[in-house]
Amino acid sequence: MSNNGASPQYDVVIVGAGVSGNLIAKQLGLAGKKVLILEAGLPVPDSREEYMNNFYLALAKTPEAPYPALAGRTGTKDNPAGKLPDPATLPTPRATVLGLGGAPDVSYLVQAQSWIATHPDSPEPPQNPPTAPTGEVRGLQFSSTFERNGGGTSWHWLGTSLRELENDIRMWTKYQHAVDWPVTYDELQPLWALAEKEIGVAASVTQQEPLEVVGLEYPQGYQYPMQPIPTSIVDQTVSQGVSGLEVPGTLPDTPGGSDPQMYDVFVTPTPAGRNSEPYDDRRVCAGNTNCIPICPIQAKWDPTVTLGKALDTGNVTVSYQSVAYNVAVDANNNVTGIDYYQWSRDEHGNLQKVSKSVTGKVFVLACHAIENAKLLLMSNNWKGIANKSDQVGRNLMDHPLYLTWALAPQPLWGYRGPLATAGIESLRDGEFRKYRAAFRMEIGNEGWNFATGDPYTTALDFITGTNDSGLNTDGPNGTAQRLGGTALALKLNNLLTRQFRIACMFDQTPLQENRVTLDVDPQTGKPNNVDGLGLPRPKVEYGFDPYTMEGFRMAAYVCSQVYKQMGATEFTKNNVGGTGDFTYRGVNYHYYGAGHVVGTHRMGPDPCTSVVDATQRSHDVQNLWIVGSGSFPTVCTANPTLTLLALAFKSADSMIAALNS
Amino acid sequence: MSTSPLTPGGASVPPPPIVPATPSEAVVQSFANMSAALTGFQPSFIRPFLDPVNLSGTFYSFAVVQVGQAMMDALMSAYSALSSQTPPLSSQAIADALLEISSPTPSTQAQLCQAIVAMWYLGSWYPPPFQTNGLHQVISSQAYTKSLVWNLAQAHPMGFSAFTFGYWSQAPASLETFGVNTGNGGGQ
Amino acid sequence: MKKLATIILLAVVAVTMVIMTPTTTTMAPAAEPAIVLSSNIPGDAQFGPLPPNATNEEKLLAIQGDFDIYSWNTFIALNWPPGPDGNGDPNKTIGQNGDNDTVWEHYRNVADIFLPGGAKPSYNGSVSVPTQCKASYKPGMKIISQVGKTPTVLTDFSQPFNTGPLIDQDGNYTRYEILVNKPMFDYILQNTLYSKAGQKVFSGAVKFPCGVLGGPEGAIMVKAAWRVINPADKNRFHTQTVLVYSPASQNPKYPASCSTKLMGLVGLHIGHKTNSASQWLWSTFEHVDNAPTEAEVASGKLKANYNYYDPKCPASKCPQNQVPPRPWNPTQVSSFHSQVVRMDMFKGNEFAFTSAAARNADALKLLLGVSSSSVWQNYELISTMWPTNTGQCQASPGDPLGTPAPNFLANTTLETYIQGMVPNVSSNCIECHNNATMTTPVPSDFTYILQRAQ
Repeated sequence: MSNNGASPQYDVVIVGAGVSGNLIAKQLGLAGKKVLILEAGLPVPDSREEYMNNFYLALAKTPEAPYPALAGRTGTKDNPAGKLPDPATLPTPRATVLGLGGAPDVSYLVQAQSWIATHPDSPEPPQNPPTAPTGEVRGLQFSSTFERNGGGTSWHWLGTSLRELENDIRMWTKYQHAVDWPVTYDELQPLWALAEKEIGVAASVTQQEPLEVVGLEYPQGYQYPMQPIPTSIVDQTVSQGVSGLEVPGTLPDTPGGSDPQMYDVFVTPTPAGRNSEPYDDRRVCAGNTNCIPICPIQAKWDPTVTLGKALDTGNVTVSYQSVAYNVAVDANNNVTGIDYYQWSRDEHGNLQKVSKSVTGKVFVLACHAIENAKLLLMSNNWKGIANKSDQVGRNLMDHPLYLTWALAPQPLWGYRGPLATAGIESLRDGEFRKYRAAFRMEIGNEGWNFATGDPYTTALDFITGTNDSGLNTDGPNGTAQRLGGTALALKLNNLLTRQFRIACMFDQTPLQENRVTLDVDPQTGKPNNVDGLGLPRPKVEYGFDPYTMEGFRMAAYVCSQVYKQMGATEFTKNNVGGTGDFTYRGVNYHYYGAGHVVGTHRMGPDPCTSVVDATQRSHDVQNLWIVGSGSFPTVCTANPTLTLLALAFKSADSMIAALNS
Repeated sequence: MSTSPLTPGGASVPPPPIVPATPSEAVVQSFANMSAALTGFQPSFIRPFLDPVNLSGTFYSFAVVQVGQAMMDALMSAYSALSSQTPPLSSQAIADALLEISSPTPSTQAQLCQAIVAMWYLGSWYPPPFQTNGLHQVISSQAYTKSLVWNLAQAHPMGFSAFTFGYWSQAPASLETFGVNTGNGGGQ
Repeated sequence: MKKLATIILLAVVAVTMVIMTPTTTTMAPAAEPAIVLSSNIPGDAQFGPLPPNATNEEKLLAIQGDFDIYSWNTFIALNWPPGPDGNGDPNKTIGQNGDNDTVWEHYRNVADIFLPGGAKPSYNGSVSVPTQCKASYKPGMKIISQVGKTPTVLTDFSQPFNTGPLIDQDGNYTRYEILVNKPMFDYILQNTLYSKAGQKVFSGAVKFPCGVLGGPEGAIMVKAAWRVINPADKNRFHTQTVLVYSPASQNPKYPASCSTKLMGLVGLHIGHKTNSASQWLWSTFEHVDNAPTEAEVASGKLKANYNYYDPKCPASKCPQNQVPPRPWNPTQVSSFHSQVVRMDMFKGNEFAFTSAAARNADALKLLLGVSSSSVWQNYELISTMWPTNTGQCQASPGDPLGTPAPNFLANTTLETYIQGMVPNVSSNCIECHNNATMTTPVPSDFTYILQRAQ
């Protein structure tokens, strides 16, 4: 139901109906506070029929595939994955996988493009960006994407619900790297428990006990809400295969120092926000292997569940298609209201917008790390607000994701079960964090789907006689075969059932120069690229420091050791000159975004170096909270959703206290 | 289902096709038998005794729209000739002949057969090289949820599992159970 | 090993073929199946001969017809007036006095099977009467209630997975109840599946008993949808005076309440496990005044009144099939009225529509033949969902869903908001119930009721 801002006094106005926003709305609604959520995008649909249908018909089944705005449903040579909508025509454009690396007419984020993208007809061999004198590689593409609709980006989170490690949140104290979080591990424990209950996390503390070696601790007697999700045959095979494997903390010649200690490599099941028993009126996981982009049966929690409970309080209203563009502050640096565009399309499909305002006592920005930064920078006539620290938009981080893939000697039957059910978490902490980025390793259950677009790529290889997968080499003189009938079926069975992949996700260094700004011409002050509402687009500058890239170097080594010990043949292929390609110490790497966007309004105790305090309240603007993973001072080694939901509970409490005082 | 506001540039569809006449049972059965040979699946799996989903009919009609009735008729005749030989050719031999496996330059008919294999395996139309204005597309949501490449992985289409909780920690059923004609006597 | 697999596979295929191409001596009597006025609940469908050289469409139409006849025979037998033993009374006929008590309403309500503390239930024992209802309760009264406080239980005014309530044109919430027959109850009792503790120690697979034609009844579960009606409309509905109970709710916050209401039956699901359908047979019936079809709305050929549609309200003010906005409070009259339209879910499966229309006409003649005032003339079969590929009381290997026909099926009162044609999401009885488990993640043989155990 949409309220066109005509209503009188709200206690709280929240921008964004995503993970944080919906949870805060629920907590406030339960406390009797009147809440308005301004959601930029379309309403939560009554059923997921439309989204699933979008997914089924999508040519490229990317994370954004179910959600508007959609790519075209027919492919041509110019648009093999379907025509992409131009962000300049959309009211709520967002970063997409299909638009990544393109020009601003397909890429929402305005950022450097790759050599290949900017030299389409060049006969020269492609090149990766150069290394700067600092050792950093700049001009890389920020590769994570997000949604702007009711429910937000976590419609398509995987469900991984790992807790951070003790040292994750005190990197400066322990390892003299990056910064500490302004919260303690003891403080986070009960907050994680609340988040795990809200989501419905399936795990067992007993199964997590081996990770005490990396500092994972639970309160005495803690019980997860649901029994754990069973591991897959892929997990079991990897687990058996790495038995006894150890790797050093650092490789030889790591700049800055070495950690020669040997670390055990072992597999543990992953706590997950998906049902292992009926929970919260939702079904048990049936292994649809589709968590990203969408669970057909909502066995995996998503923020719309919490939004439903927020609306049940009777104190929460959502205004959809409401794009906030200005947070108005008075002379005392208090927020007086939020200006937003209510958009719609007329009968011809033309975009219409009406400017409205809404006021309240407390204001919360919860519209994603990038959009929060953009809104703060746009406010107050683009002078920006809440930014005395000059940290808004800076310290942009992801978990850069390094993907490796291999063919096992025997079938281990991927493409089954949730997308991931276990990982190697045992390398997430150690002395080496002084010198190189730590990482977790996610074991994938979806074969080479992520790695090569299988089973499509390999199937088409053997049907048409190509070799895009690297697997079609058994013809005469190593050429590609073309097969049909039973021969084709058996060949594909032999290959598909042996495919698996491991993704390494790095605790990337927060850098001042990795940042989101407004895409505005500095001379004229006018936006270079706008969206369909005339609002400026986010400009992103991104790169890696040697600390982060040393992580890649280590990860490549560990993965090859794992495959070797398993007797698997590695097929990881890294290209040059394309989106997400870089070179470090003479070796080419490719990174993906994990979808974990953090850092752009980081929390800290010091208003000079941080944007918000430990409750995610702005240091500068007393009645403004800026919430979400944008508040993370470091990206740590766990997937962020569980922790950002935990912090939202803390923020909600602080807002209730502020309203009651 | 809700109606979303229109988004320009999205959800473009090919021009409305000429709707061909509904094919006869015999033609659909013949197309199904040919598809079974081409894909390596059991005929009773491709076209069960009762077929409420009727992908055989859907794919046949879709192919007619893409390449024309004449080309499909020629293909069905070629299949008919191959499948009525005495002594009978094996389904593998029929597949290899139609797909011109040993030829480095397959004819347009063989390219069409490749596209038909892709329809069954991937639920999508991949325009063969000779179809200059062909549009790559998913044929329908059912074509995707019943696409067969996942059976070759002894799994299920991503987004559509008929299995139950925990199945992924056990080995899957045999390839024959997934409908494949392994040549080991499974099925017909 | 391979040869054995071949023999088994061929045998299964042959058995499947036998089920669906009956003219063998082991199958049903030679007479063509027909809808009859009888209190005998069919143990399974009876199959007539297939037309010679039938096309796929013709085969589907013929067998759909057999199942639709089965559905009507089951509906008639279940709605037959019961005798003292709860079975249909052979000395009475359905609808002879307009309305009548029914056999299925003497089945055991799930509210009285899954008791607090996992207490042992009985089939004929007293029903639990909530505190707020005690003042108005008279023995024999039906209580339509929300069940228990366990968070995993489906609340009885909200459709599956809490997708939303159905609110009629008077602003009253539609109420649901689920009852099971004795064979189904007995299986639950004997295997101690009525409690969480009992489910935890259960080993093996849950397998409810299969009905056999001319033999054992098999497991039957019934889900009914009721709305509050005006006494003036009594003669158009099967009605009961019931106690409508809502326990207190924390979020949304409202107190418990109980009130006596005259309710009319608007929807009836019958699920029956039979030898020819290990994925169960799913028959669904609706009151004829529930909602117009898409086609009727488009053409403007509308009735004056519907249970769930206002023909005078334009689409801009009354968007169709929209979930009521939260919070949902069934204890209060709602200003939001559901505007329900029956969507066409039979595209490509037109045989389902054709068969139901023909069987409805046959049944109507029979029912009116008993009495022109029979309330049962106001109910119609939407369709029967049946597995096209299944073995004898077990699934075919490699096809756990049994390839159902038709591909999609919904009752506008029970699956209002998923009337579409999107696989795995739009209403498909078998696909959805395949996800059903107990309170443990063990599959529960196509029923969600075992989740209610405490």
